[in-house]
Amino acid sequence: MGDLAPTVHLVDDDPDLLKALGRLLESVGMRVATYLSPHEFLERCDRNAPGCLVLDLALPGLSGLELQRTLEQQGSTLPIVFLTGRGDIEASVQAMKHGATDFLTKPIDDTRLIAAVHEALAKGQALHRASAERERVSRCLASLTERERQVLDGIVAGRLNKQIAADLGTAEKTVKFHRGNLMRKMGVRVVADLVKLAERAGVGSTTRT
Amino acid sequence: MNWVEIVWIVMSAASLTLGFIHLLVWFKQRSQYAHLLFFAVAASATAFGGCELAMMRSQSPADYATTLRWAHVPLAMFVLAIVWFVHFYLEARRLWLAWATSGFRLAGLALNFVTGANINFREVSALDPHMLWGGAVVSGPVGVANPWAIVPQIGNALLLVLVVDGSLTLWRRGGSDARRRATVVGGSLVVSIAAIAGFAALVNVGLVHAPTIVMPSVFLIVLAMGYELGWDMIAAAQLAARLRTSELRFRAVVEAVPSAILLVDEKGAITLANAQAEAVFGYPRAELVARPVEMLMPQRVREPHVGLRGTYASDPRTRAMGTRRELFACGKDGSEFPVEVALSPMATDEGFFVLASVVDITERRRFERTTALQRDELAHMSRVAMLGELSGSLAHELNQPLTAILSNAQAAQRFLAQSPPRVDKLAEILSDIVKSDHRAGAVIQRLRSMLRKEEPQRQSLDINDVVEESLRLMRSDLLNRRVVVGHDFADGLPAVHGDRNQLQQVLLNFMMNGCDAMDGRETDRRLLVRTQRTAHGNVEVCVADSGAGIPLADLNRIFEPFVTTKSNGLGMGLAICRSIVDAHGGRLWATNNADSGATLHIELPAQRS
Repeated sequence: MGDLAPTVHLVDDDPDLLKALGRLLESVGMRVATYLSPHEFLERCDRNAPGCLVLDLALPGLSGLELQRTLEQQGSTLPIVFLTGRGDIEASVQAMKHGATDFLTKPIDDTRLIAAVHEALAKGQALHRASAERERVSRCLASLTERERQVLDGIVAGRLNKQIAADLGTAEKTVKFHRGNLMRKMGVRVVADLVKLAERAGVGSTTRT
Repeated sequence: MNWVEIVWIVMSAASLTLGFIHLLVWFKQRSQYAHLLFFAVAASATAFGGCELAMMRSQSPADYATTLRWAHVPLAMFVLAIVWFVHFYLEARRLWLAWATSGFRLAGLALNFVTGANINFREVSALDPHMLWGGAVVSGPVGVANPWAIVPQIGNALLLVLVVDGSLTLWRRGGSDARRRATVVGGSLVVSIAAIAGFAALVNVGLVHAPTIVMPSVFLIVLAMGYELGWDMIAAAQLAARLRTSELRFRAVVEAVPSAILLVDEKGAITLANAQAEAVFGYPRAELVARPVEMLMPQRVREPHVGLRGTYASDPRTRAMGTRRELFACGKDGSEFPVEVALSPMATDEGFFVLASVVDITERRRFERTTALQRDELAHMSRVAMLGELSGSLAHELNQPLTAILSNAQAAQRFLAQSPPRVDKLAEILSDIVKSDHRAGAVIQRLRSMLRKEEPQRQSLDINDVVEESLRLMRSDLLNRRVVVGHDFADGLPAVHGDRNQLQQVLLNFMMNGCDAMDGRETDRRLLVRTQRTAHGNVEVCVADSGAGIPLADLNRIFEPFVTTKSNGLGMGLAICRSIVDAHGGRLWATNNADSGATLHIELPAQRS
């Protein structure tokens, strides 16, 4: 994950403005990709790479809000900063409801834009990291044997080794063995970390139901 | 005196009187030869009447023969005068017949003096007294017929042919006047000549034993001809009266016409002016008549007008004068005023005249100017209101380049703040800033021009440019209203002559109308703007929407004031559009599309190169 620098995707139908905004973000060392239309964006952009989207609200064809909706449906988590020519309250409420990071009115102050983009990128980065972590945990979980899984459930539920052994109808020693294996597989040293990890991966809830 | 003598004297005297009357007429109208010839006929008849009376009263055969010989002199004159009278008056065409008749008659006259006692008798041997009714006794001749009598008799026959031929020709030519003339003159001549010649011939050869009484027939001819000529004189008098009435009517009409009327002759002199002409130009009639018409024009056009008069005379038609330029007249006080002039040619016997009708259009021009001023003012007000409606879109159009400028400038600052400073980026950034600035400047320029209240300035315009610019101004509005705009511009359109602001106003109005019409639609809001050349070579712009269309009843009314299909519309927008397009010499109309929505059309005349 760390090898790919996050990209700021810029979508605006005004080529002059697109170029200027791109240039401004580049001047603070960001990686920028520009698109003249939502369609071009949908065609060219790798939505799984980390980054964020800076989107003009009024666009010909697909509007900014419609693009946001489309991305949402496609399961994209790309954070969006909206730009608008006018303070359109209704549109901004809509945009924020659907998870927009920020809503900026043109002409845009550079510090505000850069801050908003930074924030979006950070959010993107975090989301990206979280999903990567989730993926790793679920990979680890998948590598557990059935017995190890049962033991994990017991640990997360806060039971002692003795109780788990009783639950599973096995010896406490065996439980300790499984517990050591699964701690290694999950890459944690202390039980507290294991519980945090399992909670983040939603282990507890899945076993209850 | 017995009654025969009285009657013969009366006939002779009456003939002479009639003759003198027409001699007098001829003196007044020398071209009317018929009157002179009639005088000759009547005078001959008088002389012959005297001769015949003497013959009837002869006491010896020698007396009788001599008198008869001399009686042939007026008789020949009488026939000759008739021949030429018929020739001219009946307009007979066979000239040889007239000469032949005259020839035989003159030969007969010569023979009358060289052969026998006269042309009728080799000798008159005795007198044969006849007792007439009422106890009057007249002498008839008894003698040997002169064989040379055939010569004047041939002349008489030719005269008969001449008269019949002339009458028939005249009759065939038709017309009530010609036919009457043929009947009265021709008929009486034929009857009388036949009677005289026949009777004389019969007496001559001794078949009829009677005194030769010719005078009544001769008098009949004189009466018939006199009646006919008199009729002509009456007709001429009636014609003169009618002419006088017609002249009066003409004068009355000319005086009653509300425009100034001038009758101008070939040389450009005014021959007639009406009361209105006095009022319009300020000259009394006496100062207008016989003066050159150029006196009523401003100095600068006097000289050229002389040449223009010649041009008109070479192609005289009833038409307006100077259709391509403004005409000005000049009054007595030296003031100039705009006029409209209509010209009509009048070809008369007295030469070529031009009837000029002049209307002072100062008031009309003032009214037109006021109307134009009001129209432009209204157009301006409506334009300002419309730009108000479009303010969001216009602000956006300004905001875009301004945002680009700001971002570029701030990017430049940041590039410069880096260490080392990224100077390499600056040139490109600055050129982009300049470009965006121009773009913003153009929007402001356009706005200022449309908001400014100034007289419309007509210039040569590419309509595609005007349409494109209008679309640009509306761009953001169209985006916001989710309207998809298509355009289809024809290439190589002729230029139009118009005011950019006003035409743009019309186009913006059309497009906003189209958008309003589609407000009720959730999806598929399409606006198609098309330019094309019409069949007449003009330029047409169509703005088609995909709205609900226009109710049929309103289709022809939407350009009228206060007609609106919108709930919140005042109904002035399209009416003002129409007044603008009218002022440009174009037209507006609306149609419903086959699929959905309506199309508004503007046709503008192509600029004459």
